[in-house]
Amino acid sequence: MACASTSASATWNMSSLRSAIPPIHARSASSVHLSTGPSSSRLKFSSSKLLHSFVGLAPLHPLLSLSSPDSTSFEHCFTVIDNGGRFFAMRHGKRVPKLNRPPDQRRALLRALTTQLLKHGRIKTTRARASAMRKYVDKMVTLAKDGSLHKRRQALGFIYEKEIVHALFAEVEERYGDRNGGYTRIIRTLPRRGDNAPMAYIELV
Amino acid sequence: MSRLMEPLSVGRVIGEVVDNFIPSVKLNVTYNSNKQVSNGHELMPAVITAKPRVEIGGEDMRAAYTLVMTDPDAPSPSDAYLREHLHWIVTDIPGTTDASFGREIVSYETPKPAIGIHRYVFILFKQRARHSVRPPASRDHFNTRSFAEENGLGLPVAAVYFNAQRETACRKR
Repeated sequence: MACASTSASATWNMSSLRSAIPPIHARSASSVHLSTGPSSSRLKFSSSKLLHSFVGLAPLHPLLSLSSPDSTSFEHCFTVIDNGGRFFAMRHGKRVPKLNRPPDQRRALLRALTTQLLKHGRIKTTRARASAMRKYVDKMVTLAKDGSLHKRRQALGFIYEKEIVHALFAEVEERYGDRNGGYTRIIRTLPRRGDNAPMAYIELV
Repeated sequence: MSRLMEPLSVGRVIGEVVDNFIPSVKLNVTYNSNKQVSNGHELMPAVITAKPRVEIGGEDMRAAYTLVMTDPDAPSPSDAYLREHLHWIVTDIPGTTDASFGREIVSYETPKPAIGIHRYVFILFKQRARHSVRPPASRDHFNTRSFAEENGLGLPVAAVYFNAQRETACRKR
């Protein structure tokens, strides 16, 4: 059916094109108008038919297309990129630093550390914690660089003290306006005396 | 040369306080006769209350050197609006001796790091002539580069720094 419509519109296109060419003589203008009248409507009809055929190639509804392959996508309305439902006993390739803590305590520790770094400018902590913190400090500075209300509320939900958030949003423009990323610096230092833990200073650049 | 300069540039002493230079004179700062200052190491505030013993190298005793001690993180490293607080200046130090042979034009002020971890930087300049260095007007808003330019000191010949924070800062653990 699609091919038939294209061939039909092809013939119609040629004739309508010829009639659509601006006429040299004035007396053929009226005939051109007459011929373009019905042909233009038919051209529109065929082009709309063409468009309909075009649209038909795209997926009609994302929900309906997703419901077929997986039984787990009942809950999700969007594609989930996962490892395909496989699970391994080992930790190979997982780059999340665990910091010897369960997830809730880990999140609380990182929130506290970024709050203190933003407050004091330079803190001394263990190397593992310092290198785990970098991502969250950069995230906070990026939120402040955006500056909108939504980002401010997101930052308030992460940093423990609200004065620090407001101060950060106020001064980030002059401090980090030109810098793209990498807002911290880690300097390794002597190990801690009590347990020989490798220490580092982390400071805002 | 670059191995010695690495901690100074990583700790941003080169960059914020002075420009890149080639160290040519040995500088040895010792507090309380046993705590030597090494780049980036931390000292307790109880140790740094009294002025340290500063021994400098150099070839002969006719050359005069100036020692400047500043804090580039005043009053807080995250917001250093009083950038560079001056602590100590000793001039006309003869080469191969120590700072007690010099003239102290700005007396030693005990560092009191109130907020955060501060760097305290010792910088050694070589003077062109004796009695050529004048004390600055105030201790705050001190600029080492402009001080060196005003008194014709040029680039420094040695630098070292240490960190210090408030005594009660880490008492939680």
